Amino acid sequence: MKRDVTITINGVEHRGNIPIRMLLVDFIRDVAGLTGTHVGCTFEGQCGACTIHLDGEAVKSCLLLAVQCDGKDLTTVEGLGREDALHVLQEEFHRHHALQCGYCTSGMLMNAAEFIKERPDADDDEIRRALVGNICRCTGYTNIVKAISAAAKRSASVWRSADT
Amino acid sequence: MYPSAIQNYEAPDSLDGAMAAIAKFGDDAHFIAGGQSLMQAIKSRIIQPQTLIDLQNVQELRTLETAQGVTIGAMVRYRDIAGNAGLDGRLGALRDAASHVGDRQVRNRGTIGGSLCWNFVSACMPTVTLALDPRLTLGSESRGRREVGIDDFLGEPMETDRQEDELLISIFFPQLEGRHGSAYGKWSLLTDGLPVIGVCASVSLDEGNICKSARISVGGLETGPVRFERAEEALVGVAYDDAKSHEGAISIAAEEAEILDDVTGDEEFRRQLIRSVGLKSIVTAFERAAAAGGGQ
Repeated sequence: MKRDVTITINGVEHRGNIPIRMLLVDFIRDVAGLTGTHVGCTFEGQCGACTIHLDGEAVKSCLLLAVQCDGKDLTTVEGLGREDALHVLQEEFHRHHALQCGYCTSGMLMNAAEFIKERPDADDDEIRRALVGNICRCTGYTNIVKAISAAAKRSASVWRSADT
Repeated sequence: MYPSAIQNYEAPDSLDGAMAAIAKFGDDAHFIAGGQSLMQAIKSRIIQPQTLIDLQNVQELRTLETAQGVTIGAMVRYRDIAGNAGLDGRLGALRDAASHVGDRQVRNRGTIGGSLCWNFVSACMPTVTLALDPRLTLGSESRGRREVGIDDFLGEPMETDRQEDELLISIFFPQLEGRHGSAYGKWSLLTDGLPVIGVCASVSLDEGNICKSARISVGGLETGPVRFERAEEALVGVAYDDAKSHEGAISIAAEEAEILDDVTGDEEFRRQLIRSVGLKSIVTAFERAAAAGGGQ
């Protein structure tokens, strides 16, 4: 029924003796106490508010059990940037007013952070398609797309020079 | 929504370990692959497994080999298929489908084997593989390995030929002589969503660019994916660029399909979708075959 797990989140090890049925998103919020990862739909796995990085890839933490991530390395929105050095996406979301209530924002950021690394030259249509798994219900997507596009352009040159 | 209590969680790291685990825990156990469909069913308690056997650590299930035909491990993800440039021409439909399943997060976890074993009524992978005609390898601790063709593997929606103690190991597309092409397209209510109608076409050409054989499957029907043999036969002998004959062939499928109205599309609309989506798949499959070299 219960298992001991050790899950590294944003570089910090979190241990727990947890029920097998505990969802990863609940481990992140209730055991690790990191509430930036949100629960929107809770069931269908469609809203994307719980998106985190598992081994560097964007996944929905409501579609995983915490026991499946024993020994794994996660990043949540709290680990994306620092207060004194925001991630380029966080800066551009701020600059473009890409949020209103903010509920979907952490999932948007985590999905987009992986996407713009893969596709720094993505056009607006490709960005919109990349956001299919993240639902926003207040601002609409226009400013979110603008913010992601701006962040992709800013970071492209940095990553290109880092790759060579 | 929350899963009901789960008694055991196993994460074997080998094929033998996975088959031993399902043999040991029996009827109350369930394999979990990418979990992108299964977790929804578990959370809504449609399924209440006592034991979950997680396949994520079985490396043998994650390999994709392109020598001597193409062998895709059951745990190969949509992401890996979509990004594999070696899957072109004959297997182009696999990438067409894998690139547009669900969303980025789902494609980062969801697997081809999980989708085939789940065999959801309108899912893309059953429709695509039905047209591409692979052979599937299954294994169990007590009976060893066996091979089964895709026509026999896929049953009614949510049913397959996989027995309860069996593991789907790999999907094998044999090496074929000659020139082949395939394509898949769908129309969904939401971008990259489950198809209202999805059509896969797979064709083989002779030296003169004339069709030697074809397979056409349609998904989104109540029965699950279906092949239309009269439509396939209608393509044989047809030139790769004979648009009128391509249209005639897909019209046979559109007329023969058993279609029930539902909220996502009435009968007439769905027949039109089979024609329009299907024609595009056929034309693209022929173009890919014509562009392909021999012996793929």
